Amino acid sequence: MKRAGTIAGVLILLLGALLLSPAALAQQEIRIGAIYPRSGSLALLGEESWRGAEIARQERNEAGGILGRQIVFVNADAPNVNAARSEAERLISQQGVQLLIGTYSSALSMAASEAAARRGVTFFELGAISDGITQRGYKTVFRTNPTASMFVAAQMAFLRDWMAPQMGKEPEQLRVAIAHEDSDYGTSVAENMRREAERLGLNLVSVQPYSSTSTDLSSVILRLRAASPDVIVAVSYAQDAILLQRQAHELGLRSKVVGTGGGHSLSSFYEALGDLAEGVFNVDFTQYEVNTAFTPGLEEFRERYRATFGEEPRSGHSLANYMGAHVLFDIIERSGGSLDPERIRASTLSYVVRPGQLATGWGVRFDETGQNVGATPLVTQWRGGKLVTVWPEQAAVMAPVLIE
Amino acid sequence: MFELTLQAIVSGLLVGGVYALMAAGLNLIFGVVRIINFAHGDLMMVAMYAVYWLFTLSGIDPYVAVLVVAPALFLLGVFLQRVVIRPIQGSSPLMIIFATVAVSLVLQNLALMLFQGDFRSVQTSYSIAVLDAGPVLVSVPRLIAFAASILLFAGLFLFLRYTYVGKALRAVAENRTVARLMGIRVERIYLLAFGLGSALAGIAGVLMMPFASAYPTVGTIYTLLAFVVVVLGGLGSMEGTVVAGLAVGLIETLTGTFISPAVKEIAYFGLFIVILLIRPQGFFGLGKGTEEVGLK
Repeated sequence: MKRAGTIAGVLILLLGALLLSPAALAQQEIRIGAIYPRSGSLALLGEESWRGAEIARQERNEAGGILGRQIVFVNADAPNVNAARSEAERLISQQGVQLLIGTYSSALSMAASEAAARRGVTFFELGAISDGITQRGYKTVFRTNPTASMFVAAQMAFLRDWMAPQMGKEPEQLRVAIAHEDSDYGTSVAENMRREAERLGLNLVSVQPYSSTSTDLSSVILRLRAASPDVIVAVSYAQDAILLQRQAHELGLRSKVVGTGGGHSLSSFYEALGDLAEGVFNVDFTQYEVNTAFTPGLEEFRERYRATFGEEPRSGHSLANYMGAHVLFDIIERSGGSLDPERIRASTLSYVVRPGQLATGWGVRFDETGQNVGATPLVTQWRGGKLVTVWPEQAAVMAPVLIE
Repeated sequence: MFELTLQAIVSGLLVGGVYALMAAGLNLIFGVVRIINFAHGDLMMVAMYAVYWLFTLSGIDPYVAVLVVAPALFLLGVFLQRVVIRPIQGSSPLMIIFATVAVSLVLQNLALMLFQGDFRSVQTSYSIAVLDAGPVLVSVPRLIAFAASILLFAGLFLFLRYTYVGKALRAVAENRTVARLMGIRVERIYLLAFGLGSALAGIAGVLMMPFASAYPTVGTIYTLLAFVVVVLGGLGSMEGTVVAGLAVGLIETLTGTFISPAVKEIAYFGLFIVILLIRPQGFFGLGKGTEEVGLK
């Protein structure tokens, strides 16, 4: 009797093992290819971005997965454009992955999403901002985060709706100057700015391109000063953002400054400038000094990040990817767990979330190109060494102020 | 317009002073040891990090740090000449160029490994001080850098002109074979020149630190600028270096201000090419033939 019980027990265990064998599990799992630069020069923020998506995955799996199925990432490292393309192809053809996410960097995203789209595979970008990614007519490429031109739109709206009234001016009286570094990044963003400023009727008084490797920007400052702008909108990398701010002070240029992500959001900007950084505005992804009533889930994300990786998040990139991955999981759930590109597209285009309900505070509404047009960059301001969210009002932890 | 021009001139001279000081060290090495030192800007980078750490860890003021940094850079220069350059000094000039490029890469990557790519700055009470001099504004740390650089030049000029060692340095710069025949210990002069040149790069780094940031590749652009200044001014000529350094600073700021910041590099590299074509020995060169840098 005792022996029969043992045999039955062993049989049940064997049967269980058979059911749980990899082949059986594979049918159950939802496999997603995750392409990020996790070595090389983009590794720091590439890894940071991946961590956000990974936390969303763990969280969703603990809550029962998608319709009871666990989510698995097939991870690929893409330190450069060639690797992004070949890794995307490898995941699709050799690993049989039907859906890809990534990538943090615009250049990598362009390559990886193209490889996916040509094979009819769905690609979700969760963090790269170049407008072109969703403008190539691919039906299977989507993006959850805001684009570069949405950054510019938020910036110019801030100038018109907050800064002009604050200075007691009509929008068309607000004198705006643009200073931008002259590589592809700065030039294309500045071109967007010029168009947007004109569209909103702002008074654009000067546009100054400069090389980001310059050792001295006094000529840029002197030209800006001659145009006597109320506000300078800057597109800068790290070293030149610091140099512009310092030399503006040295040469008595007291206009307000609004950065565009990049160098103005780095902690080294404050460390180098101290009091000179006080009051500088910046437009960026959602950061952690934000009104958490507008970003439900942000604190939980931060807790989980600390518990999983043993440190504070290094930037808002992880948060953006975390939000994007959750949106993607919801969309897969809505298509009944199917990764069929047609069904994914249909459920993506019909998926809508109002602003203020997700961890980034961004709304969700995809247009025909696959871009989430509900995502809005936020305006932050350096205050006492911290980059705090100041605009729009529902996301702000402090009211914006003009610091003389 | 008058104020703008005046301010552009003042700003240009202030920048030019630092360029000249960077170039002074290079000129010594270039002119005396006759090697093209591509690691010159990286020596300045080493000095900038040294200032940063001395300030951050023990609160030593950047200008006081020069007492430690300049001798340390002198020794680093002597070390490089003795260990890297001397064993290959007789071989092809290209070989020596490769060696200095290697030193540059080693220093940059060491910095990257030890301190990451972050931008390191020191904040002192005078970092953002500005002097309001009527129609023009003058940044105090930039003015100090300019004044110190002019003083150093005066000292260097007197040293090279009137001391025995200075004369020996000039003799080796003009003709090393004859100098050797006259009993000058050329090998020692090389060590001295490389050490002094490095110390000058170090002092330039110290003077810039209150208004600039240290990062691993900060030296690259200064190496290039220093070469332009040395060739414009003329090999072995300290007066030439001062004039050329100030000229490059002025050209940069004036063309940047009155034409476009995009053309400022075009302006001084353009002048560089013109000078190479019509007067290859530079403004104050020691005469025809001195520009050849042993490249034959």
